[in-house]
Amino acid sequence: MSNLSPSPAAATILEAPVRQVTFGQDVWRRFRRNRLAVFGAGLICLLVAVAVLAPLIAPYSPTLVQLDAQFEPPSAAHPFGTDFYGRDILSRVLYGARISLVIGLVPTFMAMLFGTVIGVTGGFRGGWVDTVLMRLGDVVMAFPSLILAMVITYTLGASLFTLFIALSVVGWAGAARVVRAQTLSLKQRDFVTASRAVGVGRTGIMFRHILPNCLAPILILLTLGIPGAIMAEAGLSFLGVGAQPPTPSWGLMVNEGQEYLFSAPWASIFPGLAILVTVLAFNFVGDGLRDALDPFLKGRM
Amino acid sequence: MVTRPSLFRLMALVAVIALALSSCTSAPAPAPAAPAATSVPAAPPAAAKTGAKTLTVAQDTDPGTADVQLTTEEYFLPLNLYDRLVEAVTTGPLKSELQPGLAEKWDVSADGLKYTFYLRKGVKFHSGDVLTADDVIFTFDRMLDPATKALNTDFLDMIAGAKERMDGKATSVSGLKKIDDNTVEITLAAPFAPFLANLATPAGSIYSKAATTKAGKDFGTKPVGTGPFKLESWTPDSELVLSAFDDYFRGRPKFDKLIMKVVPEPQTMALMFKKGDLDVFDLDFARSQIPEFKKDAQWKDRIVSGPRVGTYYMSINQAIKPFDNPKVREALMYAIDRQTLIDKLYYGTGIPAKGILAPGLAGYNDALPGFKYDPEKAKALLKEAGFANGFEMTLNQTTDSPTTLKMNEAVQAMLAQVGIKAEIKQMDSAAWSGTRKEGKLGSYTSSWSADYNDPDNFIYTFFAPRNSVSRSWNYQNKAVQDQLEKARSMTDMAARYKLYQEIEKTIVYEDFAFVPLFHLEHLFVVQPKVKNFKPSWNGWSNMPYYGIEISD
Amino acid sequence: MMLKYVFRRFLQFIPVIIGTTFLTFVLLQVVPGDPIALMMKEHISPDVVERVRKEMHLDDPWLQRYVRYMWDAAHGDFGESYKTRRQVADMLATAFPATLALTAASLLVAWGVGIPAGIVAAIRPYTPADHALTTFALLGVSVPIFWLGLIFQLVFGYKLNLFPISGFKGVEYLVMPAICLGLGSAAVIARLTRSSLLEVMNADYIRTARAKGLRDRIVLVRHALKNSLLPVVTVMAIQVADLLSGAVITESVFGIPGIGRVSVGAIQRRDFPLLMGSVIMTVVLVVVGNLLADLSYAYLDPRIRYE
Repeated sequence: MSNLSPSPAAATILEAPVRQVTFGQDVWRRFRRNRLAVFGAGLICLLVAVAVLAPLIAPYSPTLVQLDAQFEPPSAAHPFGTDFYGRDILSRVLYGARISLVIGLVPTFMAMLFGTVIGVTGGFRGGWVDTVLMRLGDVVMAFPSLILAMVITYTLGASLFTLFIALSVVGWAGAARVVRAQTLSLKQRDFVTASRAVGVGRTGIMFRHILPNCLAPILILLTLGIPGAIMAEAGLSFLGVGAQPPTPSWGLMVNEGQEYLFSAPWASIFPGLAILVTVLAFNFVGDGLRDALDPFLKGRM
Repeated sequence: MVTRPSLFRLMALVAVIALALSSCTSAPAPAPAAPAATSVPAAPPAAAKTGAKTLTVAQDTDPGTADVQLTTEEYFLPLNLYDRLVEAVTTGPLKSELQPGLAEKWDVSADGLKYTFYLRKGVKFHSGDVLTADDVIFTFDRMLDPATKALNTDFLDMIAGAKERMDGKATSVSGLKKIDDNTVEITLAAPFAPFLANLATPAGSIYSKAATTKAGKDFGTKPVGTGPFKLESWTPDSELVLSAFDDYFRGRPKFDKLIMKVVPEPQTMALMFKKGDLDVFDLDFARSQIPEFKKDAQWKDRIVSGPRVGTYYMSINQAIKPFDNPKVREALMYAIDRQTLIDKLYYGTGIPAKGILAPGLAGYNDALPGFKYDPEKAKALLKEAGFANGFEMTLNQTTDSPTTLKMNEAVQAMLAQVGIKAEIKQMDSAAWSGTRKEGKLGSYTSSWSADYNDPDNFIYTFFAPRNSVSRSWNYQNKAVQDQLEKARSMTDMAARYKLYQEIEKTIVYEDFAFVPLFHLEHLFVVQPKVKNFKPSWNGWSNMPYYGIEISD
Repeated sequence: MMLKYVFRRFLQFIPVIIGTTFLTFVLLQVVPGDPIALMMKEHISPDVVERVRKEMHLDDPWLQRYVRYMWDAAHGDFGESYKTRRQVADMLATAFPATLALTAASLLVAWGVGIPAGIVAAIRPYTPADHALTTFALLGVSVPIFWLGLIFQLVFGYKLNLFPISGFKGVEYLVMPAICLGLGSAAVIARLTRSSLLEVMNADYIRTARAKGLRDRIVLVRHALKNSLLPVVTVMAIQVADLLSGAVITESVFGIPGIGRVSVGAIQRRDFPLLMGSVIMTVVLVVVGNLLADLSYAYLDPRIRYE
């Protein structure tokens, strides 16, 4: 939860040198062997379905305040009970899937994008450009991430957009390191040297050789970064700078509900479970992907 | 060929790391007992075991400093370490009065400008020194000395020469004069009736000249006062230990140690109380626990409640249309269901407000009629005003205040019932206060609690000409504003309070300029061993613990 | 050679520290919220805010203040906190032991749980045992820490009365927070141990050892484990950063008087000198953690030389 940047473990492993990658049935075969990963992938599909269909399946509006229905325990009318405002928790959890997926996906994707661009640039250009970019990365990585995210949120004002910025600013450095390492080692390979010899330009090499080879680690970092971002949002909610009420973000709901953990446990338990399941699912898939892609990354085809 | 480290070397490294880690885990533990920064002598660990009577309380933040001139909200230490010339004391339900403190009596000149304080003789500081007029003058001068960078100057800046001292144009305050060792004469720049009440606030705490000068910058952690307790140890962000002062002039406290634990999470605080780690639990930190404690057979009779001398209200900015129309403002009065707000948001622990002043405050008028929740009447009034279809308005608040948001969401729903579409606008605190200062902020819900026991503290704060703009009311009523100034200089208190009641009536019931919402109770739960627990007169969380007894 | 290496690494820290402080300072300039106004209840008149701002030199241009700050800091003066008016260095020194103890205890938990879990999972990959352990290890990163902490306090602190609920006055106070904070890293360690062990076990020399007829378990311990721990050690440095960041929340939940709480309070009150001080301190810790990890890595694996 403290871990705003994509899994450091993944980052470390991935810094190993690689050979050219081909995706294919082999990856799928390895992935399928890991039942947890398949299970996780199934959960994610379900989650996406819930997010898309939320307006159709949610029994109530997620923000409908009914003060005369405060803290009703789970019942047929409210399967997950109601919260302080008498809002239906099931509906909020269902809508929350949208918010939480967006909170997981957008900043992680942005972080990967920035990280890739910076990593490739640094690794490819080398020299002072590389030094400056990597030192900048060191600064971000050394900075306590929650504190940095808090400062950014205070600066820009709390909103979903700010959250995206804060989480991606915090997360890009890990990706940049991995991509740079990939780039550096690829740069020396025969096929790249060969391409250069036959007159392929820098951009060409970047798009034809370097970037495709970074896809595998990026994909893994992305999958593992999503749960990180969801947890980070929960942590920021606790500090009052996450998603703002009445947004039905799961992190915010857990935080609002923990105050009533003893009198109305359902208010925090259901969104908590939603986080748990989602984060587990993404981690399973991430692990599975890494195991499946590992032989390629290690160059042991 | 790959060479690998021998297993032995690996084991050695693991052992070293493990050792380092385990020594890390155990070594620092005793450290906080004697932190480097606070050189207050550490607590003798035997104290708790020798049957010392201890009262343990908690709050959610560390007070930071014991220097009351440098804080406007952390009053736990000042209220227990120091005394003031005059003290505000609870004398009965909803009643408090000013009583002699370090001054055993005082005279006020007929023009209300000169105050002469006769100090109690033989009062001792924790350091052993005896209180003299020099200490009083030193303390007040220190507050106004720019080198102090004091925050609480508002409570003393009415003294003659205070402005010059604060601006660095004078090296002393002309209005502070020592008559003899036990007599101080204070002259005001202009008559200010609530002056005595001001001196009774924590900001009026008296320091020891010798000890304060000696401690210098460290005074905040090495305080010396005349109060019932002295500071024994202070572990920042963890706990403060105060011990009874044997030579306290009113008599030694009836228990030996007062421990203030710093517990950031209210839920944690509640658990600690239930477990017996805390003797008093201030339910203000976790209002959501109120129903639990009220239901619980073990605790429901252990709840102590006191008035919070404060008023929750909604502001109206008359410079924003359609609030220039009195009918619209009147409609607001009837559109809000005060009792539901109290019941649903505050678990029924309060009463609807009828005016600006709060119960327990001098001059409070219980005879005001109040406004019944009557959405039909509100609609009728709106129709009369030409807004049969309602209108749009904003409810403004800062982003980091979930309790305010709860209230605004409830008010929003109620206003919708009469056709008013209120949009809740959340902004960061800087934008909020900036806009408000310019007089351009739309309505907001807020509360005001008494600093000192005088109506001036409420009404002048809101509606003096300058404040009316800077708090975004833009309420202009020349008669009211003249009366407010006049009331400040009156010395006949009974007549003064009567005047304030008239002013209040004009503002709320004729001009409909202030939407009173409710007054809350302040609830505490206490362990059975705690006897004679009385919330302070104004219902603050920070309170003096002197009168409490601990049974065995 | 090693000393030279360490020295060079230290030189590299300087830009990181300057960069971090500059970033913090610049961000703080644009953060809305006047520290002086935030220090006071709204009851205090605006004149006081203006006067104190001036007295504290807050109206000077920010670059001037940054240079002054760095100059003073280089001379060991980190300024005084707006709220407490105490020396920032003193405040941090007081808070440091608690954070250090919490971080160390959490690392113990992370390693103590993560490494065995990773080993067991690697022995029988893709079996129910592996899945169960992986899931268990992941639970720590899947529940918001503040919520987990509250449940711990309720169950182990209150209902079972095993540990103190909050505070920091001895080792027993660290058990719950260390587990809460350490479990997250345990997941990382477990996965890393598992995958790195799996990889080493497939390596040629292990196969050779097996072919020689050594029993599986001995093969595992003698050969695979020590090599597979290398990346785990490296990750320690990154974990120090993570743990320090997670400590922000754990310290609040369990009432531990550490750096995390100091920094959160500092941001909330815009207590710039205090925040700058705690950022510098955290960054130095992380950077030193990195260095230690690199050194121990080089020590463990002679193939790596100090460049």
